[in-house]
Amino acid sequence: MKKVVFVLLVLGLVLSACGAPAAAPPQGDSGSALRVGWLGFPDTLNPAYAFLTESYTMFDLVYSTLTTEAPSGEYVGLLAETWSVSEDGLVWTFNLRPNIKWHNGEALTAEQVAWNINAFITNSDGWVTNYSYIIGFVEARALDERTLEIELEYPISNMEFRVAFLYIVYPKDFEGFTTPEDLQNFANFSPIGTGPFKISTLDKDRRVIILDANPDYFDGRAKLGQLVYQTFDNSDALIQALKVGDVDFAAEVPTSAFKTVETFEGVTAVSISGRSLSELILNSAPDDHDPAPNRNPAITDPAVRLAIATAINKQDLVDVVLQGQGVPGVGIIPPTLGGGFWFNSNLTDVQFSLDEANRILEEAGYVMGTDGVRAKDDLRLEFRLQFPSDSSNYPRAADMIANWLNQVGIKATPAAVDPDSLVVATNPNADYDLVIWGWGSDPDPDFMLSVMTSEQYEEGGWSDSGYSNPAYDELFAQQQMTLDENERQKIVWEMQEMLFNDRPYIVLWYDDVLQAYRSDRFTGFIEYPTGIDAFQSLMNVEPVQ
Amino acid sequence: MNESWLLFKRSLSDFWRIFRRNRMGMTGAVLVLAAVMVAVIAPALSPYTPATVIRDEAGRGLTFAPPSVHGPLGTDDAGRDVWTQLVYGARISLTVGFMAGFIAMFVGSLLGILAGYFGGWLDNLLMRVTDVLLVIPDLPLMLVLVATLRQMELKVSPLTVLILVIGLLYWTSTARLVRSQVLSIKERQFVARARAIGAGHFHIIRKHILPQIMPLIVANTVLILSTAILIESGLAFLGLGDPTQPSWGTMLNFAFDRNAISNGAWWFYLPPGLAIVWVSLGCVLLGNVLEEMLNPRLMGHHLEGEARVVKTEAGRG
Repeated sequence: MKKVVFVLLVLGLVLSACGAPAAAPPQGDSGSALRVGWLGFPDTLNPAYAFLTESYTMFDLVYSTLTTEAPSGEYVGLLAETWSVSEDGLVWTFNLRPNIKWHNGEALTAEQVAWNINAFITNSDGWVTNYSYIIGFVEARALDERTLEIELEYPISNMEFRVAFLYIVYPKDFEGFTTPEDLQNFANFSPIGTGPFKISTLDKDRRVIILDANPDYFDGRAKLGQLVYQTFDNSDALIQALKVGDVDFAAEVPTSAFKTVETFEGVTAVSISGRSLSELILNSAPDDHDPAPNRNPAITDPAVRLAIATAINKQDLVDVVLQGQGVPGVGIIPPTLGGGFWFNSNLTDVQFSLDEANRILEEAGYVMGTDGVRAKDDLRLEFRLQFPSDSSNYPRAADMIANWLNQVGIKATPAAVDPDSLVVATNPNADYDLVIWGWGSDPDPDFMLSVMTSEQYEEGGWSDSGYSNPAYDELFAQQQMTLDENERQKIVWEMQEMLFNDRPYIVLWYDDVLQAYRSDRFTGFIEYPTGIDAFQSLMNVEPVQ
Repeated sequence: MNESWLLFKRSLSDFWRIFRRNRMGMTGAVLVLAAVMVAVIAPALSPYTPATVIRDEAGRGLTFAPPSVHGPLGTDDAGRDVWTQLVYGARISLTVGFMAGFIAMFVGSLLGILAGYFGGWLDNLLMRVTDVLLVIPDLPLMLVLVATLRQMELKVSPLTVLILVIGLLYWTSTARLVRSQVLSIKERQFVARARAIGAGHFHIIRKHILPQIMPLIVANTVLILSTAILIESGLAFLGLGDPTQPSWGTMLNFAFDRNAISNGAWWFYLPPGLAIVWVSLGCVLLGNVLEEMLNPRLMGHHLEGEARVVKTEAGRG
């Protein structure tokens, strides 16, 4: 759901490049401890202001939400047992399960859940990561110990999905903060939740997190006794650790190593069609944006955009960059959303052809110069091609794209950029030409579509392309309020087509989730769209007898 | 041609006579020259360009193909011929190394001569600047500079940025070395005599000092070359090279990023590594021998005539 923003400065790169393999994780009750190796570490365990995917992995284990996604993509109750909505669609009533306890032994009350939701609504500057899920909420009320009512401003089409992203925290830990900054600076490294695991050790220096199964979990105790998360400095070290059995689970297998991991003895490698996409962002900020966009104005020319799209061989990108573990991209909604329901299958992608791209540019008046770069009057087709420095896929993709573009007279200069700087360069500075980046989509199309609305193009908003189209914004508001799924689908498809034709993004590919585990030691993993390490899957994992 | 330069030429031929008998020096020279040759004739050594993707019958990129399946050195993660990348990479690595090395030599020599010859406040100023640059760790400084400069909208290519940053930061040791030599030479009698008969500063530097320190500068340049190539590889390995013009460092960067090690693709990461070792070893051998042979402490003034050669030969045993 969140753009993965790893805070990895150039100097950090040096350290990780020379870093020694990570220390072996501490041994717990090894019979029932699953040792997970991953490449990141949570920046915070405070759901108010978390950006790294690792933080969300921890939230899922420690906290609970009212509803949750089933492997099928449907929403089922978690804290909520049943729910109903009023005739006019403005009041939702959730009945909580009995016997839900916090990690400290106290019972959870509807009052506490209401406190959470009201905090998200009234202090939305503080709880920024929840903001897009509570738009349209008016107030939450506890009717009794186990009944919660949420009042809405207008009917919301995806309510069950929305509440599945609101982690319910222990109010006493969060009540004391007076300003949004105080709230966001709280790292919450010993969280109290209601989830299936509780954190017993969090060692930031050794980058180890140990979680114990919560014996009082309302849905029954997890079959595992412990989860041990160990951060690795580089993916080769992680893969070797999996191979020799120092870890039992690799939470992220790099695409370029997946085929090798598949051949490891005693290891099962899993590839799941995920919800991520990678795209080429074309600077689409309006000319009157403040600050004024700093870009080569040729990037806004529809002919140039079409030529760029035509000169990119997406199948080659999938074959090489993803080593076949993904599919070429078309629209902004990945084909997995709602089992394909939201994906506009009428869109046919531009056919790759360097000749055609050359022809388009020729026709648009861009004449090939003696140095191999096309120009129209003084406007040379020279673009910066930037990508975040924390990815192992994007350098290769940038290299390939730059080579294709060079062959049609477009000079693209690839450069890796620190992700934090790239966030500012794209939004609000509009200081870029082309950027390769990616998104992890929500299960509902709402989030990906929201990224392209003009109201998101302001500091702290999600838009990076700067796309601004009143007709699109209008449709976005409409789809949020359309309760009939088929009606909503029509709007969502139309929005995808709009984006496809205007090309603020050229979607490059939808990548698979690649994970691997020691199948000679553990069994019971369940495939979820986010991977086989969804908390429901981990609860079901047990040692091989 | 004036007398000093004639003498310089003669000492060069003397030098060659001794040098060619030095096995280490010759090895170094051969290593470096071989690499330069490969870079020059790169297109003749491969039927492909670095960007050509080798494809299988189905038209898909042949990725991570071992040497047994394709070419002398297999393919990389993008299905490109590793041998081609290696020989073309020599061009980039050596160009950046040589250009940066020469810039460093030029700046270092100029500042060293100015500081040493004129002394006083100028010496003080230049040497304090040198001190500052010497205490700042090179690699992190260069990383930050290259990364920052590349993010600004400069109308120069990434390679030029690399060359300038390495060249303009790596002159400090040359400057110190040259300065100390100039300090000692300018006190010698023949300089005093030249000054006494009215020679100007420029004349003295050009005719009396430069010929004396030239060999030192040459030896030092060769050593800086190897450092410049290593730094270029280091920066490119960290992703600061130009991916569209692969150097050996860029190849290593991709090999590391794309898990060549886990894939067992030794043909992807060993060749560029060995190529870097090849050139740096050549430069270091050559530079060390040159430095040893041309050490000014073993060298008399040209007015002392043939004595120098005898001494040097004796010194080398």
